[in-house]
Amino acid sequence: MTAADTAGGAAGADTGAHARADMIVCEGVSKWFGDFQALDGITATIAEREVVVVLGPSGSGKSTWIRCINHLEHHQEGRIVVDGVELTNDLRNIEQIRSEVGMVFQQFNLFPHLTVLGNITLAPIWVRKKPRREAEAAARALLERVGIPEQAEKYPGQLSGGQQQRVAIARALAMDPRVMLFDEPTSALDPEMIKEVLDVMKGLARSGMTMMVVTHEMGFAREVADRVVFMEEGQIVETGTPEHFFTSPAEDRTKQFLSQIL
Amino acid sequence: MADPHFGLERHDPEGFSLTAAVDSAPPDEPSLPVGEWLRKNLFSSPFNTVLTLVFTVVALAGLRGLLNFAFSEERNWDAVRVNLRLLFTQAYPEDQYIRVWVSVGIVVALSGLSLGLWARLSGVPVARVAMWSMTAGGLIALGVVLREPSAVSGPDGDPMRDAAGEVIRQSFGAAMGDRIWWWLAAAVLFGVGAGLWRGFEDERRRHTYVPTIPLVFGSLGVVVATLWLYRWGHYAFTGNEFVYEPDRTAALSTKLPWTVMWLLLMASWAAGRQGRGTPAEGRLKVLVNLAWLLSPFILFWVVLRDPAIDWAHVWSTDLPMAAGFVIGGGAVLYGLTRPGIGEVGRVIAVGLLAFAGFNWVAAFAGWYPMLQKARFGFLLLALAALLAPNFTGERAQRLRLVWGWAGAMTVVQYLVTMANTESTLNTPTSEFLGGFSVTLFVAVFTLIFSFPLGVLLALGRTSKLPIFRVLSTAYIEAMRGIPLITVLFFFANMLNLFLPQNMELGSVAAVTVGFSLFAAAYLAENVRGGLQAVGRSQYEASDAVGLTTVQRTMFIVLPQGLRVSIPPLVGQVISTFKETSLLAVIGIFDFLFLANRAIPSQSEFLGVKREGLLFVSIVYWIFAFSMSKYSQRLERRLGVGER
Amino acid sequence: MSDSSSPTLAATQSQRPPFYRDAVVVKWLTQVATLLLVLAALFFLTTRAGQELAAKNISTGYEFLGVNPGLDLSEGIDTDPATGGRALWVGMVNTIRLAIAGIMAATALGVIVGVGRLSGNWIVSKLSSLYIELVRNVPLLVQIFLIFAVIAALPRAVEDQGPIHGWIHLSNKGLSVPRVFPGDGFYQWLVFLGIGAVVGRYVARRRRRSQELTGRDAYPVLWLLAVVAAFGMAGWWLHPVFGWLGPVFAVVADAVGAVPPGAVQAAISLGALAAAGWWIKRFVDSHRTPAGLAKLTDDDYFRMIFAGVGAGLVIVTVFVVWPGLASWVVNSGRDLFEVVSDKFGNGRSGPPIDGHRPDIQKLGNFPNYGPAGLNFTQGMAAVYFGVVLYTAAFIAEIVRGGILAVPRGQTEAAQAVGLRRVTMLRRVILPQAFRIIMPPLGNQYLNLTKNTSLAIAVGYSDLVQVGQTLFSQTGKSIEIFSIWMLFYLACSLSISAIVNFFNVRLRLVER
Repeated sequence: MTAADTAGGAAGADTGAHARADMIVCEGVSKWFGDFQALDGITATIAEREVVVVLGPSGSGKSTWIRCINHLEHHQEGRIVVDGVELTNDLRNIEQIRSEVGMVFQQFNLFPHLTVLGNITLAPIWVRKKPRREAEAAARALLERVGIPEQAEKYPGQLSGGQQQRVAIARALAMDPRVMLFDEPTSALDPEMIKEVLDVMKGLARSGMTMMVVTHEMGFAREVADRVVFMEEGQIVETGTPEHFFTSPAEDRTKQFLSQIL
Repeated sequence: MADPHFGLERHDPEGFSLTAAVDSAPPDEPSLPVGEWLRKNLFSSPFNTVLTLVFTVVALAGLRGLLNFAFSEERNWDAVRVNLRLLFTQAYPEDQYIRVWVSVGIVVALSGLSLGLWARLSGVPVARVAMWSMTAGGLIALGVVLREPSAVSGPDGDPMRDAAGEVIRQSFGAAMGDRIWWWLAAAVLFGVGAGLWRGFEDERRRHTYVPTIPLVFGSLGVVVATLWLYRWGHYAFTGNEFVYEPDRTAALSTKLPWTVMWLLLMASWAAGRQGRGTPAEGRLKVLVNLAWLLSPFILFWVVLRDPAIDWAHVWSTDLPMAAGFVIGGGAVLYGLTRPGIGEVGRVIAVGLLAFAGFNWVAAFAGWYPMLQKARFGFLLLALAALLAPNFTGERAQRLRLVWGWAGAMTVVQYLVTMANTESTLNTPTSEFLGGFSVTLFVAVFTLIFSFPLGVLLALGRTSKLPIFRVLSTAYIEAMRGIPLITVLFFFANMLNLFLPQNMELGSVAAVTVGFSLFAAAYLAENVRGGLQAVGRSQYEASDAVGLTTVQRTMFIVLPQGLRVSIPPLVGQVISTFKETSLLAVIGIFDFLFLANRAIPSQSEFLGVKREGLLFVSIVYWIFAFSMSKYSQRLERRLGVGER
Repeated sequence: MSDSSSPTLAATQSQRPPFYRDAVVVKWLTQVATLLLVLAALFFLTTRAGQELAAKNISTGYEFLGVNPGLDLSEGIDTDPATGGRALWVGMVNTIRLAIAGIMAATALGVIVGVGRLSGNWIVSKLSSLYIELVRNVPLLVQIFLIFAVIAALPRAVEDQGPIHGWIHLSNKGLSVPRVFPGDGFYQWLVFLGIGAVVGRYVARRRRRSQELTGRDAYPVLWLLAVVAAFGMAGWWLHPVFGWLGPVFAVVADAVGAVPPGAVQAAISLGALAAAGWWIKRFVDSHRTPAGLAKLTDDDYFRMIFAGVGAGLVIVTVFVVWPGLASWVVNSGRDLFEVVSDKFGNGRSGPPIDGHRPDIQKLGNFPNYGPAGLNFTQGMAAVYFGVVLYTAAFIAEIVRGGILAVPRGQTEAAQAVGLRRVTMLRRVILPQAFRIIMPPLGNQYLNLTKNTSLAIAVGYSDLVQVGQTLFSQTGKSIEIFSIWMLFYLACSLSISAIVNFFNVRLRLVER
């Protein structure tokens, strides 16, 4: 599986990650839905503080892959290690990884019956066992950071899509995650709102968060990504730095994909 | 979007809507001139004209039949009037009757408080009140004309009969003359209505409203006032002797309590109103809700039942046991919720659960004796220990949990002790409740018990775990497949056979258990509908932030799912209430049984059945109809069922 | 695949967690523990009940089905049943009769009221609403008691009276109306109708084809009806020609009766095994990818085990728990064919359908309805009209909801393409409304069937009433409850099967 090998090699060569610890390590990860194979032997390593953008046509398994990383989907073969903790059937490991990995969804998935503040403080209070006052203070600070401090008492239904997505990012950050996963965070947004979300994400990347982003925003990939991974049919086809990827892709399938979307 | 004059207060924040929440008031119909309205709605085509004529005749004939039936000289409405107390509380001892009034008073006070705290019923359009008034006047006039002339009464007060045995009736003119007061009432109602309509139907003033609360309280006041003014008849027990004087106003033992209730309702409403908007509002609402939750138990088991407390037993057994569970259980919970305890806590809790289960095995095998109360106590403790880690955090939170346990356990121990203590009431029947009170008892307790069970079954049926799903589905479908009456028969006759030794339930309790198990299956289906409306994305989001399954269920899934199921759940409440009538078939002295069997076998009212049954229908109808109107309103407000 | 591509992987030991932390183990342990708990609770409860019953000298078992209960039933196909089983059977027939007649009447009334509520005619729509709100909000049992009381207060039965003398009699004895029933040659005539239907379908198909070819209306449905009617008319007199079917069925009955029970047991077992095997094979096939078999999850294994256990349970039931089932199947099959064979031949030449007007007989001092008419005794009339009026109110709401749910655009679209009003109703509105109406309607049918059990309150001999009487004689509560349960479950299954059948058909119509 040459592509997979280059994935590992490229990570080492391009970002000089050998100095940093490995944050996410996947090896031979496979997953089936009935008779459909969604992931076919994914092998990749993501280093600490690295920002990886995953590209690929729809149905290529991008989302399934990052959903496996925080165990929203159960991978059936291979190994996944996040921050030194292997994702197995061990409940304690699952718990640990979930509280260290934040996730942002395409449709925001905010809890409609809780206020913005309630959405953000729910997990810190009940999972991290933080005192309520502390959790609320932290939540307000996070809202400040994503730029909507004045919306704390509102309900998600009263916010615009971009604001909702920023709340969702704040909700994920409230757990002090070591890794953030973004599953097409801007696909459900109106064009004028995409920028405000991307700005928050760029700030996050600059602050040194390890990030895996499934997106179709090529601008974001070019500007922020340390590495771009291209997937098709459940396999990693090609991986490399943005310049390399967008200017001189090696694989035909990558070229074809790029020609379709650029 | 919302017409501010309709609908209760929106408890829900405007931002949260599972579907588009539309608070729609019925659209105002443009009023047509009478002639045009008639042509459009009644005579638009030859076919329609025929329909109109036929059904007008049908409607008039039906009304006439009903009136002739209700006001016929052969009707014996005294059978209902005399037996009102029997119908509602059966043979509750006369000297203890104050307990009934206290119970009613508590419910009235709670209703008033809740109205004051929550309801924002701002008003009814004056034009609509005018319409009601005109309709009432018109109907009365119609009825006065339609009803057949009254019989001529003979010297003994009975109607006179001709040679063929037919009742001799007045001439039409004489009858109309006799009904002059009715004419007057009709004219006044219609006149007032028409005047108001004139004044308020135009575009500018059609949005003038009569405030609802004064309207309701005022109408109730009028009803109460008639007790003092109109000669309903004086039926009362004087020294346990039933005294029956038809030509006086209602007895003091009737009109005084109801007047007090009316005043209490207004006072508690005012109190609730005062509490609104104050900093204590939130706490007050919690208190009122708690009071509602506890009131059925306290009222039925303590106030009405008047248990004969055996203080020696209380000091020697009940109190120590309660204290043990409160303190020991609290300590166990405090220990098990230490943040770092991890899976060890869960393992210990499972051990406790095994012990709690084993107590019943031991009871079955007769290894060691234990009070049933203690077995349930251990089970509750084990469940609490299993669930507690999900609801705890820092120290203050842990202490709050322990206090919650202590409070709940105290209440449970108190109530179980009370329910287990013999009643001091001296009633001729085995149950201290009868008539409408037993109907209410069974309905309320069935709802209380079936709710948690139904929610659990719904969760089981929507669970991802196959064995839970199979078990819940099998239970729900089996229960829904069989008629309620068979379940009630089974439980009334059989439940005590299945219970552990030394445990027995009275027939009403046994039936309530069966009814609850039955209702839970239907309730589960209603809740399931709501749970399925909670999207997969909500589950994923809760998993992604690391909530446990229990936390996800309690904080995310149930709050959203139950809200959607509220309208069908109100429907479920209505059917449960109606189905309590089946108690009559298994020989419990409920409301219907008394009307159908007991009254017709009293020597004064031998065979008088239809009057009582009609009265029962009306009472059931009022309850069920108002609940269904309420549910329709909720449905509109939540935007459910709108396409 | 590179094995040691990452030092992190090598450093992370992949070891099995202890069982109480293993997600899969905990998941299945909880479920199995719950299952065991439920089974244990059932075991304890039934054992307790067994002890109690033994202490009260009540045996358990179904022998009472074969013993003469000495019951007199108020009405039914056999008012003096020879055995307990026969008595229950009479009760079942009464329940089914009440349910079917009730479903038909309630549907008719419900549709009329539901459409009436949507009528543009003010008085019709108001009266329909009034009816619905009045009936829906009063408990059914109260209504039944009221009807019962009203009938009881009617005048006594007198020989030459009734609303329509000789046709309809109404008195405190209930209601009596003309009765139409299958006559002597009914089954022979049915064969004629069946052949007519086959021929008619053939003709109709040819007509339809010619309609499609020529574009001229060839009235296929009319032709079908005409052919069936022609066969029916001819069969009215000619039906005895099928008398020879009697001996044929008799031979079949003998053949069925000669089947050894062992063969039936084997057939049922094999059937169960084959069904389970077929299901598992299909399941595995659906998980086969071009690259080989997909990895199965624990839930997948559970499903296959569940199928296997189901088949096993069937086999255990057939051979161990209820070995008599096989001979019961054989005997019932034989009886069925014997009954059918009895309906043919033997000089059966009367009209296939017969009718009687009600009569009144005077036994002793009190006139009562004779057996000629279709009699609704006081109790039966109360239950029947009770459930019909009550269910009709609910059906009306369903019908109204279904019609309202068809989007207005559909009507406009149909008018735009120039469909006639009738065609529009038949082809556009009704099929769509039906799809919405059908499932809740099925629920109402089920409710009606269950509600007929209130017959016990007015002494009509339905299954529950007979069962309750048997219970008070024998004390066999668990056994009788199990019979009730099986019967009503069978009813609900058949009703949902019928409703589903129509649902599927309607969906096909839509395409």
